[in-house]
Amino acid sequence: MEKVVTNPAIVVEELCVEFSGKTVLENVSLTILPAELHVIIGPSGSGKSTLLRAINRLNEFFPNCRTSGLVRIRLDGHLVDIYARDAPPLPELRRRVAMVFQTPAVLPFSIEKNMTMPLKVTLGLRGGELRERMEWALRQVGLWDEVEARLLDEATTLSGGQQQRLCLARALALGPQVLLVDEPTASLDFRATETIEQLLVDLKDRYTIIAVSHSLSQARRLADRLWVLREGRVMQQMNRRQLQDAALFQEIIDNIF
Amino acid sequence: MPFGRPCGLRLRSKLERCIERILLIATAIAAVAIISILLLLAYFCLPLFTSGELGEVFSRRWQPFAGSYGILPMCAGSFAISLLALFLAFPGAVAICFFVHSLAPAPAAGLLKTLVHFMTGIPTVIYGFVSVFLLVPLMRDWLSAGTGFTLLTAAITLSLLILPTIVLVFQARLERIDPTLTLASAALGFTPIEQVRHVLIPASAQGLLVAAILGFGRAIGDTLISLMLAGNAAQFPVSLFVSIRTLTAHIALVLATDSQSMAYRSVFAAGLVLFLLMGMINLLIQRIGRADNEKTYEKDR
Repeated sequence: MEKVVTNPAIVVEELCVEFSGKTVLENVSLTILPAELHVIIGPSGSGKSTLLRAINRLNEFFPNCRTSGLVRIRLDGHLVDIYARDAPPLPELRRRVAMVFQTPAVLPFSIEKNMTMPLKVTLGLRGGELRERMEWALRQVGLWDEVEARLLDEATTLSGGQQQRLCLARALALGPQVLLVDEPTASLDFRATETIEQLLVDLKDRYTIIAVSHSLSQARRLADRLWVLREGRVMQQMNRRQLQDAALFQEIIDNIF
Repeated sequence: MPFGRPCGLRLRSKLERCIERILLIATAIAAVAIISILLLLAYFCLPLFTSGELGEVFSRRWQPFAGSYGILPMCAGSFAISLLALFLAFPGAVAICFFVHSLAPAPAAGLLKTLVHFMTGIPTVIYGFVSVFLLVPLMRDWLSAGTGFTLLTAAITLSLLILPTIVLVFQARLERIDPTLTLASAALGFTPIEQVRHVLIPASAQGLLVAAILGFGRAIGDTLISLMLAGNAAQFPVSLFVSIRTLTAHIALVLATDSQSMAYRSVFAAGLVLFLLMGMINLLIQRIGRADNEKTYEKDR
């Protein structure tokens, strides 16, 4: 039985995104449920990252972007149209719909400053509260014990996996409701990938998570719900049961790719 | 011939060796030219060292008819005009860079970039010429600054001349900074102003320093602006409204009028000071560049 959607976390309807007149997403509609891990897969150039960035309006960071359709996100209990005129301001939206990138985007500062500076600038936190929030977030991603003694070291001295967890912690510290994760393990080795995957599974009860993945096996391991994108369109939606049926999964994927 | 190299490959390696040699010769010529200039300057300055006239050249008074050939006022003049021009141009240039890079809508950014590139193409003499008719009377009439040919007049014009240098150097640095930095800070909920203030400025601090040093070097090396606008009085820059003479203008003035005296030899001392100063500036920039390249956040690593 399909779960009846009563309280969707995000509703995307007929979303179209163009860059300089070139259509990247076409009539994408999907419903995201809370406490589930949603994964988007598709070949390169299928619009996966663009779909993620449409949900925190980060596409507008790039020149000549045009977005149409509806993206509604549940913020403080209400579904809010994020492209409407009375939508929350962009900085606030992006804080609440956090994003982690493919390559760890640490800032060229110390580990501590990577964590505290965004909290100071965007939330105005100071002193003990700032330190508490930093420690809490670093513990959430299992990084506190590894960095506690070297908080003043440059963040770039951390390993790739640690940097990616730092980015995740930095996003969590800002208190988001939605977590967008764009191929978070693409640049990591096997062990670091395992850690990040486990983290996403642990966090899915508290945050609405949408992840883009480059790996079919990873998508199968993680996803409660999977969307397959091709040439800017949703070709297939699969639930946990369909994903667990290896033969069915293979057949669907073979048909699409 | 089982171990022979194919004919095409042999030909290519010959061609490569030939190109290597040509490049080596070109590099050697450039290096020899620079070293010759230094040696020539040192050779012409040698009598100053051997005859004990060095103290006279590096003294505070320039009165050739009274036998005083001090170039210290010119050294001070060069420093004062360059620092003042840098002080005037730097904030504007940095603001233009951040505006173009992060804040401006695309058409405005494009327009500003075109304008700055256009500024680099304007001959120095045009700046001097326009200032003689616009800025000099303004200084004379509004600020009652003597003839109007003052340190400030020249520094203002010089700041226009060095502004594009600073903008282009710093702009290139900003573009080398990984674009994921700004994307990541936007995703953290930073406004564009906050991105500039908290991420871009700290991440590009060394680029700022390099741009400032290069701007200063460009200012100290310029001759025409100070020659046309600073009044050329060999005195210390005790106020913004006095006429001063720079080292470069001094060289131009003396060479045009003299060829034998002690004054003539002071020109070589001035040349040597300029040469060593520019050498130091270049070394400094290289050192900063090396330290900067060790950072990992620039996009080419």
